[in-house]
Amino acid sequence: MAGLATTFGSGAMTNAINEIEDAEVILVIGSNTTEAHPQVARRMLNAVDKGAKLIVIDPRRTRLAECATLHLALAPGTDIPLLNAMMRVILDESLADQLFIDMRTENFAALRAMLYRLDLAELEAVTGVLLEDIRRAAQLYARARRSVVCYCLGITQHICGTANVQSIANLAMLTGHVEKQFTGVDPLRGQNNVQGACDMGALPNVFPGYQAVDNRDYREKFERVWQTRLPAAPGLSLLDMTHSGACGPMRAMFIMGENPLRSDPSLDRVEETLTSLAFLAVSDIFLTETAAHAHVVFPAASFAEKTGTFTNTERRVQLVRQAIPPIGDCRTDADIIIALSGRLGYAMAYESTAEIMEEIALLAPIYAGIRHDRLRHSWGLQWPCWNTAHPGTPFLHKYYFTRGKGHFVPNDHLPPAELPCQDFPFLLNSGRIYHHYHTGSMTRQSALLNRECGEALLMIHPADAARLKVRGGDRLCMASRRGAVEIKAEITDQVAAGSVYTNFHFGETPINRLTIAAQDPVAQCPEFKVCAVRLEKL
Amino acid sequence: MRDDAMDQAFILAKDHLKSFLRKVKKGHRLVAPVTNQHNDTLFCTINHLDRVPINLTEQAQNGIKSFLFPQQETLATYAVSADGYRFNRTDVRPEPTVYFGVRPCDLMAVLYMDVVFMGGVKDQHYLEKRQDSVLIGLNCNAPFANCFCSATKSGPFLETGFDLMFTDLGDRFLVEVGRPKGREMLQAWQQFFTPAEAEDTRAQYQLSLEAMAGFRLDVYADQAIQRLAAGLVPESVWEQLSLRCQDCAGCAYICPTCTCFTIVDRPAGPDCGERLRSWDACTFAGFTRLAGGHNPVAHKIHAIQTRFLHKLKYDVDKHGRPSCVGCGRCVGICFGGTDIVRFIKMAGED
Amino acid sequence: MSLMRSEDYLPRPAVIQKIIAENSQIKTFVLALADQQANQAFTYRPGQFMMVSLPHRGEAPISFSSTPTRPGTIELSVRRAGSLTAAMHALQAGDQVGLRGPYGRPFVMEDLQGRDLLVVAGGIGLAPLRSVINGCLDTPGHGKLTILYGSRVPSDIAFRGDIDIWQHHPAVTCHLTVDAPEPGWDGPVGLVTGLLGQVKVDPASSTALVCGPPVMIAAVLTALGKMGFADEEILTTMERHMKCGIGVCRHCHLDSKLVCVDGPVFSRAQLKKLQMDRL
Repeated sequence: MAGLATTFGSGAMTNAINEIEDAEVILVIGSNTTEAHPQVARRMLNAVDKGAKLIVIDPRRTRLAECATLHLALAPGTDIPLLNAMMRVILDESLADQLFIDMRTENFAALRAMLYRLDLAELEAVTGVLLEDIRRAAQLYARARRSVVCYCLGITQHICGTANVQSIANLAMLTGHVEKQFTGVDPLRGQNNVQGACDMGALPNVFPGYQAVDNRDYREKFERVWQTRLPAAPGLSLLDMTHSGACGPMRAMFIMGENPLRSDPSLDRVEETLTSLAFLAVSDIFLTETAAHAHVVFPAASFAEKTGTFTNTERRVQLVRQAIPPIGDCRTDADIIIALSGRLGYAMAYESTAEIMEEIALLAPIYAGIRHDRLRHSWGLQWPCWNTAHPGTPFLHKYYFTRGKGHFVPNDHLPPAELPCQDFPFLLNSGRIYHHYHTGSMTRQSALLNRECGEALLMIHPADAARLKVRGGDRLCMASRRGAVEIKAEITDQVAAGSVYTNFHFGETPINRLTIAAQDPVAQCPEFKVCAVRLEKL
Repeated sequence: MRDDAMDQAFILAKDHLKSFLRKVKKGHRLVAPVTNQHNDTLFCTINHLDRVPINLTEQAQNGIKSFLFPQQETLATYAVSADGYRFNRTDVRPEPTVYFGVRPCDLMAVLYMDVVFMGGVKDQHYLEKRQDSVLIGLNCNAPFANCFCSATKSGPFLETGFDLMFTDLGDRFLVEVGRPKGREMLQAWQQFFTPAEAEDTRAQYQLSLEAMAGFRLDVYADQAIQRLAAGLVPESVWEQLSLRCQDCAGCAYICPTCTCFTIVDRPAGPDCGERLRSWDACTFAGFTRLAGGHNPVAHKIHAIQTRFLHKLKYDVDKHGRPSCVGCGRCVGICFGGTDIVRFIKMAGED
Repeated sequence: MSLMRSEDYLPRPAVIQKIIAENSQIKTFVLALADQQANQAFTYRPGQFMMVSLPHRGEAPISFSSTPTRPGTIELSVRRAGSLTAAMHALQAGDQVGLRGPYGRPFVMEDLQGRDLLVVAGGIGLAPLRSVINGCLDTPGHGKLTILYGSRVPSDIAFRGDIDIWQHHPAVTCHLTVDAPEPGWDGPVGLVTGLLGQVKVDPASSTALVCGPPVMIAAVLTALGKMGFADEEILTTMERHMKCGIGVCRHCHLDSKLVCVDGPVFSRAQLKKLQMDRL
């Protein structure tokens, strides 16, 4: 998010999902789209059917990589050198869009200077990708008229996540692949409403609509409407809270619909924090591992039991209508917040979620034209939507970037915080699978989904397996400097030798006991994608 | 009306359709396609004939599979007590039901389900629902966007298999009599029907020709069936399909002839529970995996093969016709682009 | 099987009479239907299976390891593999299970009359073949019996009581082998296919019965073919995930066949028409 904010001025998909279908070249980097965003992958495959070239940059040979024109299996955490190498090729072969650079961007000289300092042979060695393949990818991407880049957590969950994103933005601006339809930079947001949560200011530094809390004008606007004083300093980041430890500043927490005891890195530290809190309240639809630690649990209503909006990855605000009344004692999230706020002495008198939507429209300019009645008989509206007559915005940055001119931010390679060594010789990468969602608090309740996939498997390259004398199905102990889990082996050449890969959905195999709490200094997103582990056969 | 006069066709004026259905409803549950407030057309039970509009112009999204073979049904309840471990029938006697407005594809699908559930060992739960049902069909004057029933020889007009078959002739329905239950129904409410004239059957014939010309997809099912039988479909076809299949099983759930199911126990307390049967799909990896972890259908590619071979090869060998009825629903629901139309197209290419 | 049979999916309660621990993984359950009359009327044939229910665990297909020539009780030998079998292993004599069946195409004992039998089994695969072996031994007019049984380690050897009887029976030759020896084992070490070369059987007058893990079955079938057994005279029985037992639910599909009604007993000739790589 911060990466696109500093380069384009707005941290969201620049395209509508449907536009991907008509791209000529699709560059997918750090995204297992088929399993994590099947509806987006569908558009990619449709594009391939129409003749588009698909380039997949991923350490693993994912299912999407099997369908790709070109798969660049880079060493984990070497996205910046790979993107820099592509940009260098583009400069060397005069494939840059000089007119676009001149008219629409700034700070190009700095990028060019940095790129000319690079040695392509060295980048080839660092990334582990043949220069020939890098060259082909650069040529395909730069020469096409309509090129789209899609990226996901494989880019952002690194200590250099922001720099990774900036490098993608650099590549897009260098070739002018931003301002048009079917052309752009598309971060794929994970959960159905994570975009909406960010839009609504569920970030430490902004109010709803990405209005900075340390900006006095914004703050005063919100204070006027909410009739209360608001703090001027940004809040704490996620890890600042869940990793503050037993002696840290956190004394009480209210956690809604989140399961940090499975989803945050270095779980032992999270557990230490949560168990030492004076008070913990959790609201969720099932009793998660986190909720089990709470002093008070609010049973929350599911999506089918409430009316409101979800904002998806293409900035589309969609209305969800209540199908059934909440079951048992469950209440909707809004109800819980309103009731709690009332008890704390701040009355919130909203008669419906539609009324809350009106307040959002009043305060967040990008949502200014969005109302429930406009959403009721449509497929939703894509923000920015400036007024009630505005049709919404399928693709961003037409004619000018949100921040004015696009800003090149040159970046150098920053290796992952923890790389394999003699004691911890394997690189562990983790991600998601089709059948389960996040920490499995919902999907693990389904017998059918559990039948399809009921346990975590650790992907190991055949060569590594042979050396460890491990056969498929054997149980292993996998340990990092922070913790250990027991896990079953799956032998496959989808991963490179020296790397192992698994999923974090399974409470029985809490992978985040192992992951590292190192985080990106700007976005404060933890480096889930790389840590060093050792394996022992049990 | 004399018995021997029943072979001919009859006319029901559209003005009397509702009156006829009202009589039908007296002794039966009535199931027909209805468009709801979200603009979805679905077969559903009609409780108030005057409150819901029966829609005979759209393709219903669901067909009538779920009425005879519900997505989930209780096979039995069980209890553990001092008495031992006992299973009991859940005695819900199905209501006699008239299915009205069933398209030829969905009707053929019911005939196929009859073979599956009653052809060998008779499945009691299906049998009970099926034996008291009456199928009133509606020939398709205009195929829908994804239809290809002419390729699977299951429409757009049917001559057998129904109890009664309606053809929309504009201001009236031509009504043909098929199986005995249709005859009984017509006899019971004969006041609504008049014998059809030669002109009516000519009109029907003309409509059937127009319907045959109205298909929008080119689907050469016979060619795919022959190439499958001859082993001419290359491995690369299956590979490509298996890479793109998203494992969602939408095709199987929406398919009127997919009848794979699973049986699971759902506890209702420490000592009792229900044994449930629910829809399943052969494309799921867990469908064949054994308790120890071994999976005889180890690769996705084989699961995909199973689906298409079953419909276009095994059932052709066994019953002389494919068990795809060409309704086209999977074309609309598949988001990996691995529906049967895509397969038939790929299988036909050299 | 009559075409008019109907299935209501209702298991009948059966009482565990006795439990025999065959090894650390396999237990044999001696069962009788709770309804005495039904128990007396109950018949089955070797090679068939029952659907066994346990409260909250659902159902699983288990082959008979007993022979109908010894009526009154039935025996089902169960290897611990998943949650149902694990729960079953925790049961005691006197506890009840639910039973549905019998299902499946059996070994046709009449066809085996007068023929020499070569039984090749691995692990739990001996269970359904034990039903045939003991059935033959109980019936006059059976031919020579040669039994080859492979286990992972000596302590895994199941059905020791039967093996002891077979090894002392004048009409039976019984050889054991293990994949890996343990202290005190002086028998052969290696795959069961290794024993095939050491036995004297006349393929022309013999029928081979094979059951075990999928890879072992595939290897033995090939080896028997090379020894000169006709494909029709090589019989095997297959394990599959099953839910209905009556050829409807399709979990046990094997190409165009359904193992629950077209099998579980298949001849090599039948399997050759199918795709063997998916055994």
